[in-house]
Amino acid sequence: MGIRFNQVTHEYASYSKVTYKAIHNISLSILEHDEFIALVGHTGSGKSTLAKHMNALIFPTSGTVEIFNNIITKKRDKKIKYNSIRKSVGLVFQFPEYQLFEDTVEKDIMFGPLNFKVSIEEAKKVALESLELVGLDESYLNRNPFNLSGGEKKRVSIAGILALDPEILVLDEPTSGLDPEGKNILMRLFKDIHKKTNKTIIIITHDMDLVYQYFNRVLVLKDGELSFDGSPERLFKSDILDKNHLDFPNTIKTLKHIKETMNLDINIYQKTVEDVIKELNRVTKNE
Amino acid sequence: MSIISVRDVSFFYNEKKLGLKNINIEINKGEWIAILGHNGSGKSTLAKTLVGLLEPQKGEILIDQVLLNDETAYELRKKIGIVFQNPDNQFVGVTVRDDIAFGMENLCVPREEMLQKIEFYAKKVGMSKFLDKQPSNLSGGQKQRVAIAGILAMHSDILIFDEATSMLDPYTRNDLINYIKTLNKEGLTIIMITHDVNEALLADKMLILNKGELYAFEETAEILKKPEVFHECHLELPVALEVASLVKNIEVKEKLWEYALTK
Repeated sequence: MGIRFNQVTHEYASYSKVTYKAIHNISLSILEHDEFIALVGHTGSGKSTLAKHMNALIFPTSGTVEIFNNIITKKRDKKIKYNSIRKSVGLVFQFPEYQLFEDTVEKDIMFGPLNFKVSIEEAKKVALESLELVGLDESYLNRNPFNLSGGEKKRVSIAGILALDPEILVLDEPTSGLDPEGKNILMRLFKDIHKKTNKTIIIITHDMDLVYQYFNRVLVLKDGELSFDGSPERLFKSDILDKNHLDFPNTIKTLKHIKETMNLDINIYQKTVEDVIKELNRVTKNE
Repeated sequence: MSIISVRDVSFFYNEKKLGLKNINIEINKGEWIAILGHNGSGKSTLAKTLVGLLEPQKGEILIDQVLLNDETAYELRKKIGIVFQNPDNQFVGVTVRDDIAFGMENLCVPREEMLQKIEFYAKKVGMSKFLDKQPSNLSGGQKQRVAIAGILAMHSDILIFDEATSMLDPYTRNDLINYIKTLNKEGLTIIMITHDVNEALLADKMLILNKGELYAFEETAEILKKPEVFHECHLELPVALEVASLVKNIEVKEKLWEYALTK
């Protein structure tokens, strides 16, 4: 087992002494390998709080989180090596590009490994490998990260986390701020890393089009509670999205409209534009 | 009458990096303009020149018929508010209340009026409950709404949203878009930089930038008839229109168009 949440609740204290429950009574399991999971939910539904528990960046107020057989509770346990947990589960925050700080791409990616006492030669080797994993070649090594485009900066900062060779990778809205083409390039990259390394990857996103096209498991959070855990297909066939005021993928929305206004016998569950066109041509063939 | 005139504006970051090239635009009062373009096409550069954050090396910009320059920039900035993509970059207040007050304080709004306005605009953006919270404790979407409240409170005539909704979840985004619709009906000029073509459909006109040049600037319904413009500029068309351009059945085509344009 990679990560297991057992009835986890997290409350934030605030000034007015009123505590605020960010997540409530969450139980779920994530495998060590082979998972590709989307985490969706409204602003303030607890997605980021949930993600921060996955590498013990914050501790549950009640319940336990098991991370690679370390049991994380409310209290700090001296026997647990939190640093090694944070190495096993890499967490990439929203806008990771703001955390770039070195004057070359190579130095920036090497920073993490060097902190974990890897030799300079080894760190250099790892930096190049990680850079290639995010789809950039060695010509980037000596470039200044601040002169790169937004999408490139994102990739360099993700390479910095990959350089620590985490077992599991958690990314908080990695595609936000990118144009549609950039989003798809990055999603294909994650899928590619997932295929090459079998690493479990968990991605927070709002984009249901991406969820439908790329993922095989979706977690839906609502007001801090887990309201769905299953495949995108099952999610879109359920009433969970309507209940949660979440959006359907554009392919489904468009087909639903045509089905209703033209009274055609359409299978609305199509993932891509090509599939939508095929389905529409199929049902209108004889007219 | 034009509220914004951009006349032959060019901007270079340095010899190698071009920002904008020979841009000419007239924007009328009360219009809603969507600015679209690939990453690096010059969208944000254009927005920054409009508010005087960047000074073009060539050409001139007039806001409400007044030439934007060092002397007029301070006055003209009251007329234009800009909301950035990441509100973390624009927070100054210790609490949400302080943050909404900041712009008004600079404009010397009387205290009584300011207190009322803070309440009013916090409510408008759905953040009344959070007035005494620290901005750093808010989620990304909540922060963005606070930033918008701060600008609305200054009564700008022109509002620029630089991908300001890209970090919001769909529900919050719809809420905000509906509010922007109201503001537009009240006469505000809206300029919205966006990657979301569904959002851009709401605009009266679309302005498409490509590699720093003005590629197209037309009525929304007209430009949508030219899918090649979107493809050439690496932009996405709404799914319904992408499908409409390739589907065989005429009636389905029509329904798809209807669907895309009534959103």
